[in-house]
Amino acid sequence: MTEHILSLIVAAPFVAALILLFLPPKQLGLIRFTAAIGAFVSLVLSLYVAFLYNSQAGGLQLAEVYPLVPSLGIELRLAVDGWGVSLLILTGVIIFAGVLASTSLADRAKEFFVLLLVLVAGVFGVFVSQDLFVFFLFYEIAVLPMYLLIGIWGSSHKVTEAGPLRFVWKWFDIGGREYAAMKLTLMLLVGSAFILVGLLALYFSAGAGTFDMAVLAKAHYPRSLQLWAFVLFWLGFGSLAGVFPFHTWSPDGHASAPTAVSMLHAGVLMKLGAFGVMRIGMMMLPDGARFWAPVVGAVAVVNVVYGALSALSQKDLKYIIAYSSVSHMGVVMLGAATLTQSGWNGAIYQMFAHGIMTGLFFALVGHIYERAHSREVAKMGGFATVMPGVAAFFTLAGLSSLGLPGTAGFVAEFLVFAGAWQSPQAWWSLFGVLGAFVTAVYVLRVSRAVFFGEGPSPHFHDLRDARRVEWAPLWILGGTLLLCGIWPRLLLDFIDPATSSYLRLVVAVAGGQP
Amino acid sequence: MSLEMLQPIAVELSICGGAIVLLLVDMYLPDGARKHLASLTALLLVVALYLSTRFDGQGAIGTVYFGSAFTQLCKRLLIVATLGAVLGGRDFIAKVAPRRQGEYYFLILMCLTGMMLLPGARDLILLIVSFELMGIPLYVLTAFVRDEASPERRLAATKQAAEASLKLYLVGAASTTVTLFGLSLLVGGAGSTRLDALLAAPATPLHIAGLLLVLGGMGFKIGAVPFHMWVPDTYQGALTPVVAFLSVAPKAAGMATLMVLSVKAVPSSIWQPALTVLAVVSMTVGNLMALPQRNVKRLLGYSGVAQIGYMLLALCVGGSYALAMLLFYLCGYVVTNLGTFLVVHAVADREGDDSLDGLSGLARRSPWLGLSLLMFLLSLAGIPFVIGFWSKLYLFMAVYQAGQGWLVVVGAVLAVVGLFYYLQVARAAYMVAPAKPQPLQVEPWLAVMIVVCLLLVTGLGAYPGPLLEVCQQAADALLLGR
Repeated sequence: MTEHILSLIVAAPFVAALILLFLPPKQLGLIRFTAAIGAFVSLVLSLYVAFLYNSQAGGLQLAEVYPLVPSLGIELRLAVDGWGVSLLILTGVIIFAGVLASTSLADRAKEFFVLLLVLVAGVFGVFVSQDLFVFFLFYEIAVLPMYLLIGIWGSSHKVTEAGPLRFVWKWFDIGGREYAAMKLTLMLLVGSAFILVGLLALYFSAGAGTFDMAVLAKAHYPRSLQLWAFVLFWLGFGSLAGVFPFHTWSPDGHASAPTAVSMLHAGVLMKLGAFGVMRIGMMMLPDGARFWAPVVGAVAVVNVVYGALSALSQKDLKYIIAYSSVSHMGVVMLGAATLTQSGWNGAIYQMFAHGIMTGLFFALVGHIYERAHSREVAKMGGFATVMPGVAAFFTLAGLSSLGLPGTAGFVAEFLVFAGAWQSPQAWWSLFGVLGAFVTAVYVLRVSRAVFFGEGPSPHFHDLRDARRVEWAPLWILGGTLLLCGIWPRLLLDFIDPATSSYLRLVVAVAGGQP
Repeated sequence: MSLEMLQPIAVELSICGGAIVLLLVDMYLPDGARKHLASLTALLLVVALYLSTRFDGQGAIGTVYFGSAFTQLCKRLLIVATLGAVLGGRDFIAKVAPRRQGEYYFLILMCLTGMMLLPGARDLILLIVSFELMGIPLYVLTAFVRDEASPERRLAATKQAAEASLKLYLVGAASTTVTLFGLSLLVGGAGSTRLDALLAAPATPLHIAGLLLVLGGMGFKIGAVPFHMWVPDTYQGALTPVVAFLSVAPKAAGMATLMVLSVKAVPSSIWQPALTVLAVVSMTVGNLMALPQRNVKRLLGYSGVAQIGYMLLALCVGGSYALAMLLFYLCGYVVTNLGTFLVVHAVADREGDDSLDGLSGLARRSPWLGLSLLMFLLSLAGIPFVIGFWSKLYLFMAVYQAGQGWLVVVGAVLAVVGLFYYLQVARAAYMVAPAKPQPLQVEPWLAVMIVVCLLLVTGLGAYPGPLLEVCQQAADALLLGR
């Protein structure tokens, strides 16, 4: 079994989805149970991969190769590195928590879980493929079901029409879930079109007749090609990572999506984008990466600060969390742009930390929305008296978000800012810290406005704390957050060796560490 | 002249003969038994498909016809497309035109004969005769009227069908005239009706003008911009099974003819710029015009225009690899588009509503029909794991390899625009609550054909290798053969 562990981990959600297809749609309990089992198996397998992976040896391990399209040199080439291990665990944790958090979903539950599990299979696939083409295929599987997931099970909310272009708002039904679904899909697929062109450029320019990423990374591409192809990858993958100004799908999409989908999308899918930029863009095209790093970093800084300021001005609870994702993904991209050991470690660590944290946030917001039937922060208040557990976990997520020592967020942000300080653009860390400061302001403001102070008003008669199985996702996510904050080596032992070997590919040619 | 000489066109002859037998049988059939004509036609097509494996179809008939792996592939593709349209529309045609089924199937078979002769034609006379043999039955087929109970609706249906047919006829006749005029210039210059003579002829201004006129005439047939005006109206007005046939088989035949001409009769430097313009304009206009459409058939009409644009992209690049990818794209397009129209037929003609609203809630009324439609739409859009993705990918690779990276960027971005309106259709099927909650019944043969298309679309999407090889052989045969 251990030699096929990676194909198993990709296949497990697929198989669960297949089994679900044949269950009667009325049997909700059975459907939820099957989905939960599928997700649990994924989680266990991802932890088992971490157990099998020898972090001392580093490099790519647990490799499997199957031919797929021999005429083009496309192979199903699976292997995992230290980065992959940590992101696999992230995905496993989030999907298990996400399925548990959507046990109250009843409308067309069967189709929902099928799509969700297919999507997760795609995510697992991206993190373990070592063939560029298969990487792209899995990436698409991870992106596409989102359209239906948001369009069918999402929620709409009213947006006040304003500005000189208000007639356009009406046209597109801005604020509607179908608008959000379509916007997300189209923006991400324009990104995919860029990626596809970049992919062809690498394939033909390397001329090796293979999509094997290890071979492609060793090939020497002309500098001019590197410069434009890097931009394609940066914008293409970056649109999924929420890179400014291509982040606009993310607040709408995350706010409209159902709870589990928001958790998965903000928690894991945005990471695919950042992972793509680093793993494909930077490692395949070192010249391009070094040339564009100042721009990538500057844009990332805009992300950090702009995302935090936007979150500050939102009135809708889900939008606040969604904009905080934009801000935190900026930290990831900033870490990547530093091209330093600690910056890259921080970027990957932030992917993990932010994934868990935002998953926890969305699970909590989903719970609040379900009980309060409202997401308007201004109307809430004093919720802590009736839902103390939720309030405690919200505070925990918030503290990690603003980077309090002892939480995973602190480790990640510290590493990234330290990396930024070592990089040629030390001023980045200044703005990074500014972003963290604004984050503190809005996080504390929101938790005060929702949970403390006067209230709750009698209007919210349905409020109650989490119950039974609803506790499970909160404990899993909150526990992970604390565990990784107190004991960062747990993950860094995986991440660090991978980072140093990959970073060598990018900066060694330039003559050593900057 | 011995009979063996006719071996390359044995399949065509058998279909033509079968069509005549069918017409004769029809005269003596009582009204109640006419519904078996469809089965007879299907049987004939299956036999033809079998014959195409018995006879290798290779070899030349004088200088007029040349059979090769290329013509074999095209013939089989056309037979399969026709078979799908015939069986898919079987019960519907028996219902709406019970007394005219004989004519209907006769016309389809004659049209098929014309189309099958086109890829092998190496002489302008045969070419233009086959073209008309393909075209004239289509004018009649598009004029078939749906039987409506109320007189007003019947009148409206008649008007629509008349418009559909007349538009196709007028545009078709004009395009034939233009083609013929162009051919007369070519023959005048080259002194021969043979294609290879055209290739050798000096490129005088008259010769170039002739070539461009022929390209224009062909553009009408395949519905490339700016010769596409008939497409949406004809699609909307004609019966859906006819449109299913019209939107795949004649386009495939027209595309195959363009391939033959561009390889065998036209020096590449003359057509290439014009083809590039046609391709880009077709992709752009087709995709953009499809956006505001609310009628599914019109929408798919414009989407077909855009698809033709993608195929022209490969044609303007030229070369063995690009032509093979064009053939692959063509196969994928035929299967996918046929499936799409059959689903639309299954829903729209039962409900009498071919707007997007007619599809609403399809996924709840019939989950497997909804899933099929979704797969076909994703394939048309070029999304992974269905054949349409490989089509677009291979085509883009061919174009990129030829150094036309900018065309790839244009095509890829427009493909995303295309996804927008394909998703509008999917949205109607999946996200809008059904107008009528009761489950949808589908006739057995129609269901079988849709499932076959679905299996092909997903099966070839999972395993495109073998078809790719066949296409490569066909393209090489076209380039290397006579």
